[in-house]
Amino acid sequence: MFDLIKQMADLYGATGREAGVADAIEALMKDKADTITRDALGNLICEKKGTDPNGKRIMLSAHMDHIGFVVVAVEKEGFLRVMPVGGINLAVSRTRHIYFSNGVQGVISQEPVPAGETPAMKHMFVDIGAESKEEALSMIELGDVAVYSNDCFRLGKNRVSAPAMDDRVACALLISVMQALPQTKNTVIAVFSTQEEVGCRGAKTAAYSVQPDIGIALDVTGNGDTPETKQPAVKLGDGAAVKIMDRGSISNPELVTELLAAGKRAGVKTQREVLPYGGTDASTIQLSRGGVVAGTISIPCRYVHSACEVIDLRDVEAAKGLLLNYLQA
Amino acid sequence: MDIFKYLEGMAVQHGPSGAEGEVSQWLKPQFEALCDEVTIDALYNVVAVKKATRKTSDGSPAPRVMIAAHQDEIALMVSDILPDGTLRMGQVGGVDPRILPAATVTVHAKPDGKEPQKLLGVIGSTPPHLLSAADRQSNYTREALFVDLGLPVGEVKALVSIGDSITLQGPATKLLNDRVASKTMDDRACIGCLLDAAERLQKMSHICDIYFVATSQEEVGSKGAMTAAYAINPDLAVALDVGHAIIPQSRPDTCLPLDAPALTYGPFIQHKLLDNMKNVAKNHAIKINTEFAASSTYTDADNIIIARTGIPTVLISLPLKYMHTTVETLDTKVLSECGRLLAHFIVDLEEGWDKELWN
Amino acid sequence: MELKQLCELQGISGREELVRAAIYDHCKNALGDENVMIDSMGNVIAHKAGRDKSAPHVMLSAHMDEVGLMVISATDDGHLRVRAVGGIDSRVLVSKRVKVGYAIPAKDDKPEVKPLNGVIGAMAIHLQTAEDRKTVLPISQLFVDIGAKDKDEALSKAPAGTPITFDTALTPFGQDKILARALDDRVGCYNMLRLLDADVKGDTDFVFTCQEEVGCRGAIGATYRLMPDIGIALEGTTANDTGDMPDAQKVCTVGSGVAISFMDNASIANPELFASMMKLAKDEGITHQVKMSVSGGNEGGVIQRTGSGVKTCVLSVPCRYIHSPSTVCSANDIEAQYQLTKAFLEK
Repeated sequence: MFDLIKQMADLYGATGREAGVADAIEALMKDKADTITRDALGNLICEKKGTDPNGKRIMLSAHMDHIGFVVVAVEKEGFLRVMPVGGINLAVSRTRHIYFSNGVQGVISQEPVPAGETPAMKHMFVDIGAESKEEALSMIELGDVAVYSNDCFRLGKNRVSAPAMDDRVACALLISVMQALPQTKNTVIAVFSTQEEVGCRGAKTAAYSVQPDIGIALDVTGNGDTPETKQPAVKLGDGAAVKIMDRGSISNPELVTELLAAGKRAGVKTQREVLPYGGTDASTIQLSRGGVVAGTISIPCRYVHSACEVIDLRDVEAAKGLLLNYLQA
Repeated sequence: MDIFKYLEGMAVQHGPSGAEGEVSQWLKPQFEALCDEVTIDALYNVVAVKKATRKTSDGSPAPRVMIAAHQDEIALMVSDILPDGTLRMGQVGGVDPRILPAATVTVHAKPDGKEPQKLLGVIGSTPPHLLSAADRQSNYTREALFVDLGLPVGEVKALVSIGDSITLQGPATKLLNDRVASKTMDDRACIGCLLDAAERLQKMSHICDIYFVATSQEEVGSKGAMTAAYAINPDLAVALDVGHAIIPQSRPDTCLPLDAPALTYGPFIQHKLLDNMKNVAKNHAIKINTEFAASSTYTDADNIIIARTGIPTVLISLPLKYMHTTVETLDTKVLSECGRLLAHFIVDLEEGWDKELWN
Repeated sequence: MELKQLCELQGISGREELVRAAIYDHCKNALGDENVMIDSMGNVIAHKAGRDKSAPHVMLSAHMDEVGLMVISATDDGHLRVRAVGGIDSRVLVSKRVKVGYAIPAKDDKPEVKPLNGVIGAMAIHLQTAEDRKTVLPISQLFVDIGAKDKDEALSKAPAGTPITFDTALTPFGQDKILARALDDRVGCYNMLRLLDADVKGDTDFVFTCQEEVGCRGAIGATYRLMPDIGIALEGTTANDTGDMPDAQKVCTVGSGVAISFMDNASIANPELFASMMKLAKDEGITHQVKMSVSGGNEGGVIQRTGSGVKTCVLSVPCRYIHSPSTVCSANDIEAQYQLTKAFLEK
């Protein structure tokens, strides 16, 4: 699992610029689905047909996009001004190493902030080593998006850190589930979605096309097991988290019961998650057309939206066991 | 319709946003008695269809009218079980923390493999003896309050799980002048208006197919109304929700008199359909007030209007004092007037109702 | 139809009937009755068949509505209480003239209706305390005075629900510029009407939408009906290019051509469509600029995410002092928006 997670986490794929990730996943999904399509928003939709013509359509969604910095202006000295794409945390972005899809490297710094002013994105700038505006514009264009540089490594025995863990760990999970899943009575549609970080935009249109009966988002969630963090009551290593609710959606209560039961049958650890913030693709899948039974399986993750998002491999394996059991039930 | 009996019943139903299973099952038979077909969909919307009882004179298809009010309630949720057996609370919808200290609640425990149980809980507060002058200067936050079940921690853990819902208690209480106070008047009182209208329509004839909908998840973004409107695909819609009635602390232009239903105007509301509704009120001597919504009405109307290709919609507000508390107060005569307005609006809807909408 | 004529029609969000009627008639004359409809949100949709059936189906959108005010009640002494419809900074309202109600020409047996003149006053500086001078007057403390002597007279002349617009006539301004209200987005409507006779390659729907300023409400249903392959919003966008604004914080510049967006708060442009627009503008020699800064939102967002999804891009005319009584844009930028859209539709 680590190798697949690392492969996913090392790919460039900013929000709105996910094509490279989709290419890599498509290669891995070949022969694992009956049809593979891409839509107008760049979602990769992989459908595995069920045996029962009256079976349900179950959509699983993991998002490919990664928060980043979009170039909005270039100073005459060659520095770039950027704005956030998705929920960028300024405090953890200062002096970070970032890179663009064409390989151009950069570092983020901050101009002196006048006393009494709160540091904001307008005070940040990116140094790509260019010495003039012209040189900078020969390296990148306005509208290009940079992300935290790929840096995936093991942490202790069971844990892994990477900038794009949200949500490539779930992409890896979904790929491995689809690779291990035999044909079942229900149709299973794996959606690798786009633009989650700016409001679950890809999952919205994908759910419209896919028309699922049941939708399950696979995403990371916060944790309550680091110093002075109390919410949510979720711990790394305590298993797959079955979401009860977050700010974006309330999971269907019967689906929650079924997912917890599947975890029990599979003999994997599960935990119940009530998150006071956040949202996943389930929020838009649930509201597609006439309404969809929806929920989320979460991988507990520390330091979400930083350059060192940490997960526990045992939780990923637990989620895999739970999903394989649920899908074959 | 026995309005107080309905209010007494609805006030003890359990239906936090997203978990409306119980209240939807309670509403279903009440609509079945008055409609042709009742279903509950994937999001727990209760959809009750009453077919046209009169043919259109020109043979055109019956207009489809959706009439919506929401069944869900704001609530709390167990977000953690602390070592002493008290419960940390998350919220479902906008709960005012000022109503929580010393409130009694019902914890809806779903122990694994056993029957669900309703446990009585109290939200504790610090006794005044222990409060400093500074403490008294600020309100409690939800994060600083906990639900006490009075049980040892082991027993709490055997019964209660993270994610179990917690509802506030507030039975229907009669006041003077036909006024009633209760929890969840918002918006089950308006579902009472739907039932009242459906009952009146038993003796009246109409050319439209009526879709009464008790919607879900309004308090977390009018989600049920969105998907129900998509599925029903009505030609026009009426949404009902409670509106803020005047109380001593009200600021000017923000609240409604308690004594009459109010119709909303503003950019979202189809203004010719609104004129039509106003005429109906005038013709049947139903007193109405009006209120303004600069854009969002913060009701089911917002999402119904933009379903599919767009649905001309009007909004009726039932004035309510002390919204989002457990003593929400209204005038039951106004509830009944809302039912009468709805029934006449339906009956008076004729072929060609949409001819002049966009001129 | 001339821009002046379009800008003089009043139409706040939800009350676009005058603009709608004029555009509806114009479209029917241009494309024939059978190709033009008013949908269930009040949008005007004009359809033109393309010469190449295999080419992508394009939806163009421009919104008919403008920001304004609406009467909600009156004070006992006859001043109208009002609220904003759409995003208006209350600070631009003090000491301005407005039109209360719409100017409706005589039609059939109905006589002409004239709007009332109104003014928005405020307390004289002589009477203001130091605290008053610091405090921003919210709209709840700004009243429209139509000269009524009491509440009854005020509300009989202007009942609750009466729409109010700024009173600004379209005027040529400075070098190649235009000063008017409602340039956002009558410039887009104007260009779309001019494009009705373009030699379109793919099937094209021209959608004149309502309720953009209160959340892009009209475009939602129209897109759902049409489900195009490509959606192009023709907008007026905020320029923010005057005074000592640092270059890095300017959004776009008036007079520097049509603004092409890679991203705003509502949508991320389809990367290929954005690149092809940039290339097309370059190849055709059309003055253009990249809309810098990720700010604002428009119909691109709802068009993109309707149904199974639509590839979108937004082409804007930069406007200074947008959402105020005095908006300024450049005639050259309007022309550039037209030329680029035309080239896109015809290629």
